[in-house]
Amino acid sequence: MSLPATATHVRLADNWASSVRAAVPGSGPEWLQVLRDRAAQEFLRGGLPGNKDEAWKYTSLRRLEDLRPELGTGPLTGAGPAWPSPLVTDGGFGFHVHNGRVQGFDGNTPAGVSMMPMEQALRGPDSPLLQRLRSLLEKVEVQGRARAFEALNTALLDHGVLVHVAAGVDAGLCLVQWAQGASPRSGMDNFRLILMLEPGAQLSLVEQYLGLAEPLEEGAAAPTAAHALSLVLQLDLAADSVLDHVMLQNETAQNILLTSSVVHQGAGSSYQFTGFDLGGGLVRHAITCHLAGTGASTTLNGAFLGDGSRHVDYHVCVEHLALDCSSEQFFRGVLGGHSRGVFNGKALIQRGADGSRVRQSNANLLLSGFAEIDTKPELEIYADEVEASHGATVGQLDEQAVFYLRSRGLNEGDARRMLSSAFCCSVTSRLKDAGLAGQINRLLEAAMPKADSLVQEAP
Amino acid sequence: MLQITNLHASVAGKPILKGLNLAVRAGEVHAIMGPNGAGKSTLGYVLAGREGYEVTAGEVLYQGKNLLELAPEERACAGVFLAFQYPVEIPGVNNTYFLRAALNAQRKYRGQALLDSMEFLRLVREKLEVLHISDDLMHRAVNEGFSGGEKKRNEIFQMAVLEPALAVLDETDSGLDIDALKLVAEGVNRLRDPQRSMIVVTHYQRLLDHIVPDFVHVLADGRIVASGGADLAIKLEEQGYTWLERGGIASLQHAAGA
Repeated sequence: MSLPATATHVRLADNWASSVRAAVPGSGPEWLQVLRDRAAQEFLRGGLPGNKDEAWKYTSLRRLEDLRPELGTGPLTGAGPAWPSPLVTDGGFGFHVHNGRVQGFDGNTPAGVSMMPMEQALRGPDSPLLQRLRSLLEKVEVQGRARAFEALNTALLDHGVLVHVAAGVDAGLCLVQWAQGASPRSGMDNFRLILMLEPGAQLSLVEQYLGLAEPLEEGAAAPTAAHALSLVLQLDLAADSVLDHVMLQNETAQNILLTSSVVHQGAGSSYQFTGFDLGGGLVRHAITCHLAGTGASTTLNGAFLGDGSRHVDYHVCVEHLALDCSSEQFFRGVLGGHSRGVFNGKALIQRGADGSRVRQSNANLLLSGFAEIDTKPELEIYADEVEASHGATVGQLDEQAVFYLRSRGLNEGDARRMLSSAFCCSVTSRLKDAGLAGQINRLLEAAMPKADSLVQEAP
Repeated sequence: MLQITNLHASVAGKPILKGLNLAVRAGEVHAIMGPNGAGKSTLGYVLAGREGYEVTAGEVLYQGKNLLELAPEERACAGVFLAFQYPVEIPGVNNTYFLRAALNAQRKYRGQALLDSMEFLRLVREKLEVLHISDDLMHRAVNEGFSGGEKKRNEIFQMAVLEPALAVLDETDSGLDIDALKLVAEGVNRLRDPQRSMIVVTHYQRLLDHIVPDFVHVLADGRIVASGGADLAIKLEEQGYTWLERGGIASLQHAAGA
């Protein structure tokens, strides 16, 4: 069924159509061309989603209008200069990306791990790895307007990174740094990150997103323009593999970040995601997990902060397809100013997925009368034996606690900041690395929406 | 130290304090006793500056300054401390972290150098030892999952670290068994100092067996209706508050001048 298009999305789709046609890469093997063309057609048929599309009801793409529909701005400089990293980690390997282009591979990949540019992987000789890559790429759903960004990402598929961890290998830490901005040109970049974990493999993935407010080149006078990154992550976890995924996002308030993670899990595999959104103008994370093997488990944790007119949206769907799988969604939102948060968490228990255990929890703090949260935990159950719980709350800071802290000498702003960051501690305490948790707690406290947003006047 | 004159205060429009007078000099310990609903806790909250406790008349001078015009944190920084009857649980905020932030906020206000975490830890160890408190308390979230006794001891511990000039202890004995009561009282006694004044609010005389006050006041219907020495508390315990209502006040030598 085609829904009536809103004015915004018609305008955007018209603007984007010619850009998309021009930007679809023309090189690569035939199967890739077919994949891109099909996705491009899907995108052009549907256009961008609007508020009539259920999955995008609360998230307007109006901010994309401010971007020129230029696809692929690229980095300003050739060799990527280092930018300050908010997190300090020990060793590890990884890569850093500026405006959608890999600027360099870092550290030494351990034995049993291979990491390569997507451009190279896509054009590699026929091999079991290429077959697996191709099948994964073809698994990403691109039909329908709600999946416009997955379709666009596939249509433009070229830039990205593939990380493969061999069976039984503990690959340690993989650090990925994304930097957006520092370019006078606005635009939108697309990137694909694929992680393949063979049976029994283990990996710890730490991602940092950073908005660059200042031009990287010294003396560059042009102001940095708004930038959008659309990222599709495909995480393929074979039997008994373990992926611990930490994401820290601190984009500038003018930047747009759209991520879509597609996770496939084999029997006994374990995936834990813990995300922290401290910045960004418009941020949307879509996470889709398929628990396809017996006894697979998924834990998705997140803390998101909103201030000013920022918008953060988590769309999560965990699908239980096999026996005895467990999943948990645990999200905390703190919203001040005129910001808006969206949490849509769904657990879908398919027929036959007996012995499933599902927990969902989303609690939110509103620090301002003008902030808004739209929360919707959903359970859809077709199996017989399922243990499920879900809950969502929206509240304000406990004024008794504020007074208690003030009565000990803390000023009101510090008292409120301390209490609102404590609200997110239940998320940081889920990190396996206590050192990382300490660093993130400090960053969270510093980024907490300010108390003065409480007395802000309506615009 | 503290001079309260004709204090009237309302909560949600309902008058609770109705012309309270009290003078506390440096180093003195004053006990305030009284029946339920007399306004004992209200007095503590008014002195600490809690929102919703509206002063409608009267004046409170603390160290010669108008206390009522200060924000709660300014009062704390000036040396006023309220030990809560019901200490608030604050999940996610570590006790050590909270107390260091509070102490440093006060030191900053007073123009003193801030303590780094090593210096603070040294101070904390010293105070814990004096008060016989296990340092396990410091690693937990503020009051979260604390027993009634632990909460009250944590209040006294905070007082020991913050070293206020005027401490108001609001029913610090309520909910404590005899052993816990003795420990809390011992902690308070160690903090008695010629420069530190205390107002001990309590229902029962038994706390005053352990913290012997210089003065005892009876608060009834928003006013101090009787004042005396430590023996007044014993008399009250024997006779009950109804004795006052039956005309006991008249028999007291030091009737308050309300």
